[in-house]
Amino acid sequence: MLKNKRQQQKNLTRKHLLEIAIKQFGETGILATRTADIAKHANVSHGTVFAHFSTQEDLLTAAVEEFGSQITQRLHELIDTNSSLSKILDAHITGLIEFEPFYTRLIIERRLLPANVTNTYVMIQSTISFHIGIAAQKELDQGIVRKLPVHLLYNTWIGLIHYYITNGDLFCSSGSVLKRYRHELLQHYIDLITI
Amino acid sequence: MKQCIACGMPMKNPEDFAMGDSAKEYCRYCSRPDGTMQSYDEKLNSLTTFIIKTQGLEEKAANLAAKSMMTKLPAWKRQSPI
Repeated sequence: MLKNKRQQQKNLTRKHLLEIAIKQFGETGILATRTADIAKHANVSHGTVFAHFSTQEDLLTAAVEEFGSQITQRLHELIDTNSSLSKILDAHITGLIEFEPFYTRLIIERRLLPANVTNTYVMIQSTISFHIGIAAQKELDQGIVRKLPVHLLYNTWIGLIHYYITNGDLFCSSGSVLKRYRHELLQHYIDLITI
Repeated sequence: MKQCIACGMPMKNPEDFAMGDSAKEYCRYCSRPDGTMQSYDEKLNSLTTFIIKTQGLEEKAANLAAKSMMTKLPAWKRQSPI
């Protein structure tokens, strides 16, 4: 019983640390954030961070995995209920908005980050693309969507999103660039791929 | 919810499992036609192909990401040589 309670507390602290890390990485940048800053904002000792994540790289990889699992789980559920391509894309943007500051830093700084982070990032993008591809295939079979290779269908979509995110300061000087342009981008993309 | 031990995919409905058998620990994408689980090399190969198909990356990057992912999965933890 006591052991279960201790485990529960441990899981809660880990979750809390991940939430704070995602927030800090988003606010100050991934490379510029120190584990000591994360500990301070999480109100725990510096040692507590390392009790949960043996290195800073582990913490960052876990943060990227947390982002990935939340976004892909939602897409997986939508595919399960036969949602349209437009709904899947909309859910993708909603998921990105929830993590927008962190995701922005991730795509801007990714080439400077450890290989493990890139590998995790690649798997997340493939999983998202896979789900979008399933919804697109159904609409392709119905003659609604153009026949395009899965990778180009996805890269066209994510390329558009990433262009706005990485240049967010030019498109939207304050607030969320995705919130501001989501409908325009989604509509434009659907128009592009629709027959 | 169960997760496939070989690729991490969440398995909720019977059709997600190998041969539609929800007692199995791996998914339909990780099984061979006879229902047995793919080997490490087979899975590495199919995951690499999956990444190339979904993102168009070059084989080297796709292969590295696939290997890295497999080190984290219960089915391959011990044998993944990175």
